[in-house]
Amino acid sequence: MKRRTMILSGLAGVGALLVGWGVMPARSRLGKGELLLPQTGEVALNGWIKIAQDGSVLMAMPRSEMGQGVHTALPMLVAEELDVPLSQVRIVQSGMDAIYGNVAMFVASLPFHPNQDGSTLVNTGEWMTGKLARELGVIVTGGSSSVADAWGSVRIAAATARAQLAQAASAKLGVSVEQLVFDGGKISGGGKSINFAALAADAAAVSVSDVKLKDAKAFKLVGKAAPRADVPAKVNGTAQFGMDVRLPGMVYAAVKLCPMLGGSPGAFNADAALKIKGVERVVQLPAAGGGTAGLAVIGATTWHARQGAAAIDVQWQQRPLGALNSEQIEKELVQIATQGGGFAFHSRSDADAAEQGASRKVEALYSAPYLAHATMEPMNCTAQLKDGKLTLWVPTQVPQMARDAAAKVAGIGKDDVTVNVTLLGGGFGRRLEVDFVEQAVHVAKHTAGRPVQLVYSREEDMTHDVYRPAHAALLRASVDTNGRIASLRIQSAGDAITPRWFERALPLLAGPVDAPDKTTAEGLFDLPYDFGHQHMSHSATKMGVPVGYWRSVGHSHNAFFSESFVDELAHATQTDPLAFRRQHLTSEHAKRHLAVLNLAAEKAGWGKKLPEGHAHGIAMHESFNSVVAQVVQVSMLNGVPRVHKVVCAVDCGQVVNPGIVAQQMEGSVVYALSAALWGKIDIVGGEVQQKNYPQYRMLKLSETPVVETHLVPSTAKPTGIGEPAVPPLAPALANALFALTGKRARSLPLITA
Amino acid sequence: MDLQINEKTLPVNDAATMDGTMPLLWVLRDVLNMTGTKFGCGVAACGACTVRVDGQAVRSCVTPVSAVVGKQVQTIEGLGAAKLHAVQQAWIEEQVPQCGYCQSGMLMAAASLLEANPAPTDAQIDEAMSNICRCGTYQRVRAGIHRAAKALAAGEAVKPLQGAPA
Repeated sequence: MKRRTMILSGLAGVGALLVGWGVMPARSRLGKGELLLPQTGEVALNGWIKIAQDGSVLMAMPRSEMGQGVHTALPMLVAEELDVPLSQVRIVQSGMDAIYGNVAMFVASLPFHPNQDGSTLVNTGEWMTGKLARELGVIVTGGSSSVADAWGSVRIAAATARAQLAQAASAKLGVSVEQLVFDGGKISGGGKSINFAALAADAAAVSVSDVKLKDAKAFKLVGKAAPRADVPAKVNGTAQFGMDVRLPGMVYAAVKLCPMLGGSPGAFNADAALKIKGVERVVQLPAAGGGTAGLAVIGATTWHARQGAAAIDVQWQQRPLGALNSEQIEKELVQIATQGGGFAFHSRSDADAAEQGASRKVEALYSAPYLAHATMEPMNCTAQLKDGKLTLWVPTQVPQMARDAAAKVAGIGKDDVTVNVTLLGGGFGRRLEVDFVEQAVHVAKHTAGRPVQLVYSREEDMTHDVYRPAHAALLRASVDTNGRIASLRIQSAGDAITPRWFERALPLLAGPVDAPDKTTAEGLFDLPYDFGHQHMSHSATKMGVPVGYWRSVGHSHNAFFSESFVDELAHATQTDPLAFRRQHLTSEHAKRHLAVLNLAAEKAGWGKKLPEGHAHGIAMHESFNSVVAQVVQVSMLNGVPRVHKVVCAVDCGQVVNPGIVAQQMEGSVVYALSAALWGKIDIVGGEVQQKNYPQYRMLKLSETPVVETHLVPSTAKPTGIGEPAVPPLAPALANALFALTGKRARSLPLITA
Repeated sequence: MDLQINEKTLPVNDAATMDGTMPLLWVLRDVLNMTGTKFGCGVAACGACTVRVDGQAVRSCVTPVSAVVGKQVQTIEGLGAAKLHAVQQAWIEEQVPQCGYCQSGMLMAAASLLEANPAPTDAQIDEAMSNICRCGTYQRVRAGIHRAAKALAAGEAVKPLQGAPA
């Protein structure tokens, strides 16, 4: 099927689920005040903003804080529109209404090529998807989309609240709206002033039609590095993560899942476990959320539960389809990528003909392994099932899916489930899953109304993840008689992620046939280079290993493939890698990429002399609508790469908080460097071999490079920042190593000994 | 048994600690409900559970509670109980935390380092700070330690820990 037909028919299929959706007006995301459940003394102005008795502003927070700074960045948008200090905006967890859904993330999931920008197809697709996403209102924190989404929802809600307050103040003060001045929660005019609290009730009754967003030139907060609101509690131990929930009468549960992925427990003997004082019960866990089946042990403390789990003797059963082996899968992926085929995400002119007429070809085979998320806070969920009501306390990126999945397991209605979202001790995509939530509810059915906190050990967490899928890609370029690159072909192979996630977390959107999954091909089909003939296809496999979204998703491996290969092409045509990229970033669309590339190169001193034994490598990649370029400075120390410095340049549109942007650059470099140097999950006989940090190494402080962040000024709407600095690191490092050693690394991780 | 935690004597039921074999981490978290100390790996590899015992940074996930009886334990809850410790203040100024989960352990390790070595070099920081941070805050951790060292040198009093070696 042709790509376009496929996309649109897929969308239509989903749309058909909604009765009469085509004739419904676009859903407003402003919402009514009652959605905010105003408490005594509070007045809600709309679905996002309410005013407290002390005049402070409370905003609905539908996004999860996992380190990316969203609990600071979103309140900044509110504070800006209302001209109050950031400290005067407090957050309250939002409800589950569709207005809080993440529209930007769904619109960004469309597999359009950037050259199609502005076309009817793209506009129609984005319009349809946006409408659909507004209707579905899926509440999710992911896809580096929170600020992009809030730019079109939270900001409008705050500006609307401002207009409401202004109209109420105008009536009270007898001054026209234009003459009013907002400052620190007070509105002044005609020599008098009145605070938000005194106006709130009147403002709530006002309906406004003329809402203006603040002009960027008038921004006081947006664009400045406000300190993060969550930091004080994170330095004194009071920040509450999922594992820190403590409730009267609470018991704890440890999981013991089948070590073989997809397997299940057969006969087991729990006598020894139950003899331990403080161990109270063993519960069977079905394969929750697409995972692996196993057991849970309930105990007086996490340690009791863990001792109990260790004492159970289980005969584990392999999954019915046979044991998974990553080495064999990786070989198969290489074969499939070499054969080509699959879904053509992008085709430009005629790559076949270009290859036939070429004077020479450059070809390389690349691969990347399975990876685990390994968040610092292991998976956990606290659940209490009492009197037909279920309450969850859970560090999750998907509270609504957690609610729905939990309701199903508990056999109660969704409205009988309350979800309290705690802080997340890291997410990186792992907490887009609901497996651990379902397991906690299974256990809560056996605790007679007492709350139970289910906690994974590090070993269970690492061996029962949803892994970044392994991928392989064949890349081939043809060089014409003038020595210029005529064509680029990329054939990649690996598991699609989105269809598997839909099956696990959002069954409503899981179709009988997998639609083409942008997330696995992103970063290969949408390259900004101007090579005349291009063909990019992806073969979506279904190898059976549970796979999920891993910070930067498909870009995490695809940028390694594409930006390493671009470096190969530079060398194949005897061109400096920076100059080569510049030569091929010629389109209007690529101006942004060129600016980012140039800024990184300039700040890093590209081409200047480095200390003896050091080399630079460069890579540039667009993901989540942001462009990041990095220059890595590397040397070899005792036979292994030592990265000294990473200079990052980024265009992420209008920057809301440059401090948080810098943090995300620094953090992404470390995250990506750990993976590039050592990251690899091996599965042998169905069993994940890396079980804890000593076998799945993380970068430490002593190995951390200096990271510099440089921003390309922009007034375009904000784009992603939590993920886009991950993809370019591996290729920039590999390219630096090539410059240093003359050896080209085409598979990750770089250190395998 | 009686535990000395953050300069308070806290009685703990022996049976609740599995006769003293339970790691200090779980006694703190699940018996005493002091949740500032975090669980990360259970094998002393990540440092999220770092507390100080008689002033020394210790990984509480592999320390049986019986081993700290009669010793002074300090957790994150006690680090800045009266006034923020210089490292906590520096962490705020350098905006160190992201998700924040590892930071209790990171701060305890940093406080311990500065007490032993009030002006550590980069190399000494490299050597002392082996905690894992998955968000990659290391660059700011380093800056935070240098900043705290300067603040301490400029006269910020650090309250000596009771029972700490002189």
